[in-house]
Amino acid sequence: MPAIKERSHKAQKVLERFEKKLNRQIVGSLVACVHCGMCTQSCHYVLANPGDPTYAPAYKGDQIRKIFKRHFDWTGRVLPFWVKAKSVYTDEQLEELKDVVFGKCTNCRRCTINCPMGVDLATFNRMARGLLVSVGVMPEGVAVVSKDQWELGNQMGVLKEDYIDTLEWMEEEMQMELDDPQAKIPIDKKDCDVYYSINPREVKYDPRTIADAAKIFYAAKENWTMASEGWDMTNFGLFSGDDDLGGSVAVRLYEKVEELNARKLVISECGHGYRSTRCEGQNWGKKDVNFTMESSVITMLDYVKSGRIQIDAGKNDKIYTYHDSCNFARSCGMYEEPRELLKLVVNDFREMYPNRSENYCCTGGGGAMSMSEYSQRRLKSAKVKADQLKATGANVVVTSCHNCVDGLNDLIKHYKLGMEVTQLVNLVAEALVLEPRVAPEEIPAAPEAVPGADGLKGKKILVTDDEPDFLTFISTVLEDNEAEVIKASSGDEALKLAESEQPDLITLDLSMPGRSGIEVFETLRKNSKTQNIPVCIITGRPEMRKLIYDRPVPPPEGYVDKPADEDDIVLNIRKVLKAGHEKS
Amino acid sequence: MTEEMKINNSILRVSKDDITMLEVDCFVYYAQSNLKLGSGFGGAITLRGGQSIQKELDSMDPINVTQAVITEAGNLKAKRIIHANGPKFQEEDLERKLSDTILNVLKLADKEGLETIAFPPMGTGFYGIPLDVSASVTLKTIKDYLNGQTGIKEVTLSVIDRREFEPYHNRLLALS
Repeated sequence: MPAIKERSHKAQKVLERFEKKLNRQIVGSLVACVHCGMCTQSCHYVLANPGDPTYAPAYKGDQIRKIFKRHFDWTGRVLPFWVKAKSVYTDEQLEELKDVVFGKCTNCRRCTINCPMGVDLATFNRMARGLLVSVGVMPEGVAVVSKDQWELGNQMGVLKEDYIDTLEWMEEEMQMELDDPQAKIPIDKKDCDVYYSINPREVKYDPRTIADAAKIFYAAKENWTMASEGWDMTNFGLFSGDDDLGGSVAVRLYEKVEELNARKLVISECGHGYRSTRCEGQNWGKKDVNFTMESSVITMLDYVKSGRIQIDAGKNDKIYTYHDSCNFARSCGMYEEPRELLKLVVNDFREMYPNRSENYCCTGGGGAMSMSEYSQRRLKSAKVKADQLKATGANVVVTSCHNCVDGLNDLIKHYKLGMEVTQLVNLVAEALVLEPRVAPEEIPAAPEAVPGADGLKGKKILVTDDEPDFLTFISTVLEDNEAEVIKASSGDEALKLAESEQPDLITLDLSMPGRSGIEVFETLRKNSKTQNIPVCIITGRPEMRKLIYDRPVPPPEGYVDKPADEDDIVLNIRKVLKAGHEKS
Repeated sequence: MTEEMKINNSILRVSKDDITMLEVDCFVYYAQSNLKLGSGFGGAITLRGGQSIQKELDSMDPINVTQAVITEAGNLKAKRIIHANGPKFQEEDLERKLSDTILNVLKLADKEGLETIAFPPMGTGFYGIPLDVSASVTLKTIKDYLNGQTGIKEVTLSVIDRREFEPYHNRLLALS
């Protein structure tokens, strides 16, 4: 008689929880697969790895299915060898399962759409992620982001003071641009019609989207507010499979909306955030809400169609295509509204093929952008997406998802497509035609002078980048804004110049040959002569964000994604210099 | 959201606050064995308190489950931080380990002459200990300790939302 295998504590706990997670939807998907192969060609991982069957959705599903059959289905209990039922015994087997459920699937649900049996791999793949997370088996990036969202209330670890500071900064920028001191970003205002919730990525890496939304609310004369807490509408519980996190995050947001007695929760352009907040959160959190929830795409579309804001599509004069986010489109049905809005705010729109429910994932979905160990695998699988983008002939890809912005930017750089990525909020704000403002009778006191507000005059900036074109571009942008620019094309040169020139700020590329930007950054921080010089990272490698923030030195003061436009660069550098000025 | 009760000569309180912003003699960080601060509250400690805290931790050896060590608190309003390596992720013998961890924190605070101390909801959230289990074990262990000889005058259970507040609040009321 063969010896009875001993099961590890973690494996035992996974099995105990597995049973509790089973419901009709999951069981249906676990038993329905007939291995017909229809899913195979629908998966971007398979298309990039045609000789490797372990990427096939049916195979990936089988890694979970065999455990289900062994323990919870009579066929596997009675005839395990017949139905390929197999249990899980060791921690190593859990690690192998982790590699499949986190590293070989973005939960994009394209295979689901193409399954004649209705097998929803993403649903039970997510469940399997949750089982592993419950015993501490997960990619490090998932752990970092989940812990941030549990403990600090947002998934990027943005501190409350930094969030408020960013809103105030954006308000100042808007007031200057509109020449109206009454243009506000209200915080915790009660009884508003609109409560605007955002993705922490907007605070940390892309504050212009907040300013653009504020400009649109201003133009629409909306009675709106943002919140000091409960402002993050993203939800890493969707990606990690942790329903407790999903419920906790959603309820924090719902309770704040109720506390402020807002009539409508508007969710900024984020695919998984929209799905989590609008569609899943009430189930996870076991809470009903008495207010309306809608995507900002719908809000903006209503403003344009009702004439509440005026638009000049001619201001957006490039060639645009649209990328359907998996969560926003395939999982929530938002196909036509973003296209309708896009066609109203640009003149040249080119459809991408395939599109809508058949569109391919940006390959950064399902939390993949936080899992740096799978970056190469992810970028390889992005080939089909790159081909799709290229075939449109567009030079700008628009998407209603922050995660897709990062995923697309990364693959565009990897495949050298030379395209920009933007969101509808940016295009609507750009196309706004504002009514001439009637000056008030009393001229308000001039705001306190902000260094750099009228340019970067008098500021010495060291620009570091190994790509000559980008080095010239950033330098030109800064010189146009009256900064004194010093250029370095390598890490070693940057270190020398930083010490000898003592600039007011250093911009730093992360991926450079020789000494990498990460190493240069750490060396700058450890050198007493350079440690207090603010650093703004400008990189096309979003997956390296975590690495730079994990260094045992204070984090960089600014961060800009490539490709970056002139406004992004100048805005971020002015923010860093302003923060430095306030500190001093 | 605050509720408190008197135990012997000490106050035991449940309050909605950001633990890293409290002005107390010390607060507890639910640490890993390698003493890396990491993300979440660890990230807030680093950003608000400065790098000196991690540097101090780096000079220490890894600690076992239930052990606790103490550091300065850098630029934070608290004077010290107790880093306690509690049980995680459905670990075996979880309730006993959690109770021992809390006990070791209280003993360390007494040894260091600290009078006001704040705890997070120990092991809940990311580390997956159910809130009702954590509330029950934490408050019982603290109550028993405060009923003995101690110089600790105030213990605050610092929670971040209503979901965390309610089980601790209910358990606190049940103690009285």
